[in-house]
Amino acid sequence: MLPASDMLWLALVVLGGSLTAVLIVLGVVLARLRDAERRLDERESRHESMLDRLQENEYRLRTIIESEPECVKLQAEDGTVLEINPAGLRLVDANQPADIIGRKIFSVVAPEYVDIYRENMRRVFAGEAMVYEFRAITLKNRVAWMETHAAPLRDARGNIYALLGITRDITEHKQAEEQARRHQTELARVARLSTMGEMATGIAHELNQPLSAIANFSRGCIRRLRSGGMSPVELIEPLEEVCEQAERAGDILRHVRDFVRKSEPHLKPMDVNQIVRAVVKFTEHEARQQRTLVRLNLDPLLPKVAADAIMIEQVMVNLVRNAIEAMSEANSSRREITISSRLFETDFVEIEIVDTGPGIDGSLIDQVFDQFFTTKPEGVGMGLAISRSIIESHGGTVRAESSRDGGAILRFTLTINTQQSSRRERADSIHS
Amino acid sequence: MNEPTVFIVDDDQAVARSLRWLIESVRLRVETYASAQAFIDGYDAARSGCLVLDVRMPGMSGIELQERLAAQRIRIPIIFITGHGDVQMAVRAVQAGAFDFIEKPFNDQDLLDRIQRAIARDAEQRDRDQQRARLRTLFASLTPRESEVLDLVVEGLSNKAVANALGLSAKTVEVHRAKVMEKMHARSVSDLVKMAMQRQGWG
Ligand SMILES: Nc1ncnc2c1ncn2[C@@H]1O[C@H](COP(=O)(O)OP(=O)(O)OP(=O)(O)O)[C@@H](O)[C@H]1O
Ligand SMILES: [Mg+2]
Repeated sequence: MLPASDMLWLALVVLGGSLTAVLIVLGVVLARLRDAERRLDERESRHESMLDRLQENEYRLRTIIESEPECVKLQAEDGTVLEINPAGLRLVDANQPADIIGRKIFSVVAPEYVDIYRENMRRVFAGEAMVYEFRAITLKNRVAWMETHAAPLRDARGNIYALLGITRDITEHKQAEEQARRHQTELARVARLSTMGEMATGIAHELNQPLSAIANFSRGCIRRLRSGGMSPVELIEPLEEVCEQAERAGDILRHVRDFVRKSEPHLKPMDVNQIVRAVVKFTEHEARQQRTLVRLNLDPLLPKVAADAIMIEQVMVNLVRNAIEAMSEANSSRREITISSRLFETDFVEIEIVDTGPGIDGSLIDQVFDQFFTTKPEGVGMGLAISRSIIESHGGTVRAESSRDGGAILRFTLTINTQQSSRRERADSIHS
Repeated sequence: MNEPTVFIVDDDQAVARSLRWLIESVRLRVETYASAQAFIDGYDAARSGCLVLDVRMPGMSGIELQERLAAQRIRIPIIFITGHGDVQMAVRAVQAGAFDFIEKPFNDQDLLDRIQRAIARDAEQRDRDQQRARLRTLFASLTPRESEVLDLVVEGLSNKAVANALGLSAKTVEVHRAKVMEKMHARSVSDLVKMAMQRQGWG
């Protein structure tokens, strides 16, 4: 009924952590014993002695779990709390078991995490062992960060009938982590802005020249006109200068575009999936705040691409951020982003970012990559323009589409790193 | 005295021309130079006025030009024109003796006012310099003996005390003293004291 290999498998799969593993195994044993008991009862078993043994075992296991300092609980598929130990009661600030047993676990999950929590539960009930974090709001409205190690419990026929969860309060750890992350995103933001900022300073400086020339010529004209005694003909030359300088300013602005495009990427062989994961981390906070679930569908066997990781991160952050923004602006009820990576033709890797937002209007599809094109009140309209110039400088392409079920699909390609370029890379590093 | 001139040094020819057009509107004489080097080569230190300099220039920067002029003891007032990010550079320039700075984009009246102040300052400076030069020639016209007498008189010694100190007769001291007064164009001992103090001021 409880093959040793089964227990071992559970122990290994669920976690590496020994205490938690033991607890889960104990939990499974308990559940199965109880299951066996029920079935024995049903059959009105004649094996009284065995039942006694089972009950005795359950009693012992129960004692261990009851005295376990961490929260151990069983949940039904709909989220109903079936069992919880005293440590669990303390964790959710329940005075007695009835405060939480028989109620939905979602009553203590922070609203922005309910969808993600449900999705995680769904996966456990589909047979996956998982570790997930969420923000909890206890019965006494205390906010805390929790980490749950969850595993499916199966009956003898292999059907999953409950989720066994061991939950810890990780608030302190989380706060430290949050701080570190904030620091990191802040750094990333500063890095991004400082390149933009440098560019802006350069442009401002360049523009200052013709603009001050225009101001000087014009003021000079006004002063002469005010003081009189000036023939209009004498004003022609300075006014022509004004026109010339205005054109010069226009030229500078036209060059901005080339300026953006000209920043050369530093290509290196890169694992695109690794970049995707980094981007998920960068945007995790925003995604969570906007109750957006990010799924990954990455081909683990992809060859390396030739890419400037920072630049590609920037592109993906732009795309993911756009998706998050689109779904939150449209108040989409389902907010999911799926990032996939796959081989494309023979020389490319394609990255696809699909969201469940409103999609992009067909008439705008050609415009969204234009500089300063934005439909957002706070938008600059540079995100996609910069992304496109980066991807093109990598020799790839980027396209936008609307998916059949409404959301937007953004795809871009990167070239697979060839032997040659990696040799060149090596040569570069030797010379430098 | 020569007519004050506003010397503009800016590598951006359009900006230089526009400044000329603006500054000439208040009937000031303007000359433009395309580089710091061109200005150094063409400038005669005797010419009064002020210098309007772009902080950022290729080749010799505005700051370097300021240093070169200072090394040659040319004290024409300098107004730096700075871009957005260069204010700190300009502050340092002012600490190093530049007259003023103005940030682009500037108000025209503001610039013209500063130019007028700089020109006035230059005129004062040149006045003082002239006075000193005059004093220097006056002092140089004295014989060694007359200088000795002057030094003691200025210290407040009577003719008798001067005579004692120098081992001369009171009569001789009297003669020297009259000669000193005449050569120095001084009407009183206190005039002499003032002149001596001025000389000390510039050592
Ligand atoms: N995933 C998406 N779903 C729907 N519309 C989108 C999506 N991504 C981009 N768009 C549209 O394309 C426009 C341009 O996007 P882009 O990233 O270039 O600029 P932005 O997001 O408006 O401003 P910012 O410069 O701050 O990124 C957006 O304003 C929006 O209308
Ligand atoms: Mg954007």
